[in-house]
Amino acid sequence: MLKGADIVLQCLRAEGVELVFGYPGGAIMPLYDALEGSGVRHILTRHEQGAVFAAEGYARVTGEVGVAMATSGPGATNLVTGIADAKMDSVPLVCITGQVRSALIGTDAFQETDVIGVTLSLTKWSRLVRTIDEIPEAIAEGFYWARSGRPGPVVIDIPTDMLKAKKEFSGPVKFTPHARPADAKAQGGFTDTIVALLQQSSKPVALVGAGAKLSGAIPELRRLLDHLHVPTFATVHGLGAVPPQAPYYLGMVGMHGTRAANMALHETDLLMVFGARLDDRVTGDPTRFAPHAKIVHFEIDPAQLDRVRPCDFPVIGNLADTIPAFQAELRRHSLPDFSSWRAVACGAERAELDPRGLAQPTIRFLDELFSRLPQDSVVLADVGQHQMWAAQRYRSSSPRGFITSGGLGAMGFALPAAVGVQLAKPNTCVLCVSGDGGFQMNIQELATVRRLGLPVKMVIIDNKYLGMVRQWQQLFYQRNYAETDLSDNPDFVEIAKAYKIHSFRLNEDALREFPVSKQTGDEIDRFLRSPEPELLVFDCAPEANVFPMVPAGAALSEMLLEEEPTQ
Amino acid sequence: MQTFHICYRNTQGTLMRILNAASRRALDLPVVQAEPAEHDHQVTLALDVNQKQVGQLCREWYAIGDVIKVRSGAGHASAWSGPHPPAGVAMEESRAAARA
Repeated sequence: MLKGADIVLQCLRAEGVELVFGYPGGAIMPLYDALEGSGVRHILTRHEQGAVFAAEGYARVTGEVGVAMATSGPGATNLVTGIADAKMDSVPLVCITGQVRSALIGTDAFQETDVIGVTLSLTKWSRLVRTIDEIPEAIAEGFYWARSGRPGPVVIDIPTDMLKAKKEFSGPVKFTPHARPADAKAQGGFTDTIVALLQQSSKPVALVGAGAKLSGAIPELRRLLDHLHVPTFATVHGLGAVPPQAPYYLGMVGMHGTRAANMALHETDLLMVFGARLDDRVTGDPTRFAPHAKIVHFEIDPAQLDRVRPCDFPVIGNLADTIPAFQAELRRHSLPDFSSWRAVACGAERAELDPRGLAQPTIRFLDELFSRLPQDSVVLADVGQHQMWAAQRYRSSSPRGFITSGGLGAMGFALPAAVGVQLAKPNTCVLCVSGDGGFQMNIQELATVRRLGLPVKMVIIDNKYLGMVRQWQQLFYQRNYAETDLSDNPDFVEIAKAYKIHSFRLNEDALREFPVSKQTGDEIDRFLRSPEPELLVFDCAPEANVFPMVPAGAALSEMLLEEEPTQ
Repeated sequence: MQTFHICYRNTQGTLMRILNAASRRALDLPVVQAEPAEHDHQVTLALDVNQKQVGQLCREWYAIGDVIKVRSGAGHASAWSGPHPPAGVAMEESRAAARA
């Protein structure tokens, strides 16, 4: 006879889970009581939001399902932001929550919340387990939905009496989904249609999103892009999918994308989208997005089609299947000569505004950091100006090398996510870049970093403002800096020391020289190569802005390249 | 007003997810009728939607694992050649239009 808690853990092991992130409490205590000897390692964070972001970091960098656990009531509700984040960014995530005992459900009992109801629109699937017999099937089905198609979050809510109940257990089960009539896949003939469109076009482009990484089709995609040799750009989650040194690659596109990428997207007559959902951060004003283009949308999740801008031709399926089929057809045909279009779109006149060494100090600092990172490092960015600067300057060709909260934009994401990434990649340099606002949102996870001795390299871009909001206030609200002043920040160096983490400060004056002085270079090298956790606080000017910028409601072609007088 | 008939397996939360797809778009739900149908269940909804919302809703409903089939009232059923068409356009029309 096994307890429900033991059954849960055995089923997790059967799904390949070795690591879970969580925070204990009353309702889930029986599950914690069963951890020892279960083969599942539990990582204690200092807030449930830290646990779910850590699980996400683990999942984002490995492609495996991340698992987070929390108790009922406030423990479960503290997971909600992470669940929403996983939904928006297609992260496979299983959250197991304790629930009050079955007889009390619906009575507003102590620490009772309807977590299934709360997360209904944020999950792919969820289940309130009613009997101990349901546990194996619930876990098997939960993992299936977390992993399949477009990955996403699921919640399994288990009443505490079910965790304590006992039954004879014959072993974990496998979930077999019901057959669905005509689950749409790309139908025959789609390849010749796209080839025909290419042959009719004179300014084709390619946009690469997160789906390229999630599908595991990076090699196939790169071969296709090398064959097509058309101007190509990426969303923030597509960074790393295309080698940055590819001559046709134009960088990130969208609200803070490169000038070249945004202009090419505005001028194109054929847009091929590979695993991107055409989010409003990418499109700008959807009524003026790619105004001259036909859109071919390669996408695994049909719910993402036509959300913001109708596509002309959908190709539904996994890129691992559709790209090879497309390329096989492409090899049978000749394409027009796109060299003159490529020369314009990728030409020097549209090159980056801030080549290395000439940008403002914070950008130079990020350039210096990135240039000194060991091979195959992982960079995490929190949310804000630093995030956009980091995305703009990121130059790795590691597909899972740049991790950030893109769709939800959840501040406080990076530090706990870095915990998950470092645990998944213990021999990898993990660089976590945050702003002074976002770092404080989950600052308690310094304790997790310290306890585990994780050699995470943490950077705070400290401009003493809620920087991105301040930028919008400067540009669009006549510099009315309402509630964005963080000039009374604590001393982060002293806080790190209180957590027994080595910390030091660097001022932007150190970055005014180019190349940087040997002393500054040595400090950064030591920081990156330390076997211990480290915090570097970069003090920088408060009013630096991120450019280019496409204002809200504007077309990509209306991007601001520099500060303009406010109206 | 458009009428939608959604066949689904009546597993935990499925009906709520179907209704939530409409409610999260701030659509009123003046008519909701759920009942067993053949081997599964069916819910009939009447919604005041535009063409774009029809496509979005149908695709979101099909994304729910235990939704089996979605049918719309007159004017749209014939436009679909599969469960996941572009908004209001059949696959063959889409193919032809893309190449026009």
